[in-house]
Amino acid sequence: MNKNYEIHPSEGHIVLKLNGVCDYGNLKTFYDDVMEHIHDPYPYLVIDCENLASISKDWVRELLRVNLFLRSLNKQMRFVQVKPDLKNEFKSLGMDDAFKITGTVRDALVDFGLVARVSLDTEFINPFLNATLNVLKIQASIEARAGKIYLKKPDEKLLGDVSGVIGIVSDSFSGAVVISFPEQTFLKVMGGMLGEEYTEMSQDILDGAGEITNMIFGQAKLSLNEKGYGIKTALPSVVSGKDHSLNSKAQGPTIVVPFQSQAGVFFVEICLSA
Amino acid sequence: MFNPNTPVLVVDDMSTMRKIVSKILRDLGFTNITEAADGTLAWEAITKAPAPFGLIISDWNMPNCSGLDLLKKVRSDKNVAKTPFVLVTAEAEQHQVAEAVKSGVDQYVVKPFSKDALQAKLEMVHKKYAA
Repeated sequence: MNKNYEIHPSEGHIVLKLNGVCDYGNLKTFYDDVMEHIHDPYPYLVIDCENLASISKDWVRELLRVNLFLRSLNKQMRFVQVKPDLKNEFKSLGMDDAFKITGTVRDALVDFGLVARVSLDTEFINPFLNATLNVLKIQASIEARAGKIYLKKPDEKLLGDVSGVIGIVSDSFSGAVVISFPEQTFLKVMGGMLGEEYTEMSQDILDGAGEITNMIFGQAKLSLNEKGYGIKTALPSVVSGKDHSLNSKAQGPTIVVPFQSQAGVFFVEICLSA
Repeated sequence: MFNPNTPVLVVDDMSTMRKIVSKILRDLGFTNITEAADGTLAWEAITKAPAPFGLIISDWNMPNCSGLDLLKKVRSDKNVAKTPFVLVTAEAEQHQVAEAVKSGVDQYVVKPFSKDALQAKLEMVHKKYAA
């Protein structure tokens, strides 16, 4: 019989995924299976309900046993990705006080104090850098190399003539990613993407900056959401003109990553505010 | 592979991406390609087309009518419900793929993609409908 739960030990915590309908099967072994993993170095338990369709009272009782055991050891558990129906079910069973619910796995780890809510660290930045290299290579046949990252000064203008912009939005933080091309670089990148030679800017190719940003964002989002960042889908926009600038709603720091490529230099900016 | 005369509808709000997909299709031999700039315009093209489209390749993430909305419209209209439908998207999270499959998508192409990758997906779609 397929188990309707999976246990994934990770760094400092365990993720328990409940799947489908939890009203039969495997319940007898469930408590012992979970208990087997509740020991150092896994003091925290995250119960991921993303794929949980419904849960019976018997299962809730077993989860309560797990919760009581954790509390006796001064350990904690969080439910994440809980659908409204299930929240109501917990409430009707009087479990809303006992079962702490938060948004994503990452939110739970923030609650446990295992990770910072969000910061411009390599974990956050690298998916954007890798996606930039990958998108240009696959879609435009252009090899690029990231240069030294630096912190942008306040009011500093964008370094390119054409920029693709997309908002980074989650329940707990916001920000933006911008890819900014000098005109000559942009024309060569578009040439690589569309298989034609472009010598001047035109409306016809301008949205290419948005499409590149969209692809980079999509790849980075996939990687970051696997780590529980909970970044939502967004649509890109394009800003162009010499010395253009952006009024970002994000008030946090902005980092700039200069790239060298066969098409010339370009810049990726990432800003965040928690 | 599809007959080169198959009427194909390419849907994307970004003209660059429409150009990329259309160019790949032309490189693969397709000669009858129509482009639409969003899901609403695409639906208009589908319902007014003199001959039914034999393949729809649509972006997912578009304002107003998304690719998924368009797919659902196509699948719920008996006149065009059996049109091969490919979604192209920069988003490939598991729940999104599951939603697209549930809505009746035939294949799912993740951006960025090469000519070979799109060709392989189209061959799979063709095989499915030829079977």
